[in-house]
Amino acid sequence: MKLSHFFKIVNITIISFTIFTFKVCAVESIDERVKNLTLELRCMTCQNQSIYDSDAEFSNDIKKIVKQKFEEGESDRDIKKFLVERYGEYILFRPLINYNNIFLWSFPFILLVFSLFFVIIKTKRNKA
Amino acid sequence: MNRIFILTPLIVLLIICIFSLVYLLSGKDPNKPPSALLNKDVPIFESSSLYNAMDIIKTKDIENKKILINFFASWCSPCKIEHPLFFEIRKKYPELYLLGFNHKDPPSDAKKYLEDDGNPYDFVGVDSDGLIALEFGVFGLPETYLINEDGKIIYKFMGPITKDILKNEIEPLL
Repeated sequence: MKLSHFFKIVNITIISFTIFTFKVCAVESIDERVKNLTLELRCMTCQNQSIYDSDAEFSNDIKKIVKQKFEEGESDRDIKKFLVERYGEYILFRPLINYNNIFLWSFPFILLVFSLFFVIIKTKRNKA
Repeated sequence: MNRIFILTPLIVLLIICIFSLVYLLSGKDPNKPPSALLNKDVPIFESSSLYNAMDIIKTKDIENKKILINFFASWCSPCKIEHPLFFEIRKKYPELYLLGFNHKDPPSDAKKYLEDDGNPYDFVGVDSDGLIALEFGVFGLPETYLINEDGKIIYKFMGPITKDILKNEIEPLL
């Protein structure tokens, strides 16, 4: 490979990386943050709809509160905590990772370990 | 070893079935999750009276009392269904403080509703912007809360209370 080609590839890589970093780190607008957060919240009065997708009065109220809290400088985590304190974890589509949900989060991994164990033993037995 | 291979998935399936059965038989409605505020302190609130804006009720004013809080509105049909029961409660438990929060209602409509159907409440607070309801975790009307003398929420009911609910769930706590 010619040296010039090598530098071209390096340049392209650096530019791509810079664009990617800029995109990731760019400050999201408040509306985008509201959208992203409310997509993770359950509309308590609808069937399997996120607060973002719902036009129910409850959802519209929560959207307003979320927006107001973002404008006051609160983080996603603070807002989720505020809502969970009032509506419970039911309002979150994704359960929190905490002591109460440890079994829920660890069960797939426990199942995976057991499955691997059985597959390894079975494979060994078949070889023998 | 072969036995383990056959039995393990069956045992796992059995455990999952037992969990599902216990949940189904518990009678819990997944659409009516338990209140996150149950057994917690009553939220801090401040509300003016529907009849006199200068008359204010605050969390402090309801300390050391057993209180039944009801969120209602004139536009809420199920509220009308449960409304007469509050008169029964009023009559049977005169020492119980009945606090009504009128939720997102034009005051004139709320006043007319209470004039037509009667006013069983000791105090009717205005929650015009829904912020008090938000503090209580209300997500649909009507909702009823029972607060004990220590200021803890000991009971919450979503939807219109019925005679059965009053007899079997609320009265034992009064």
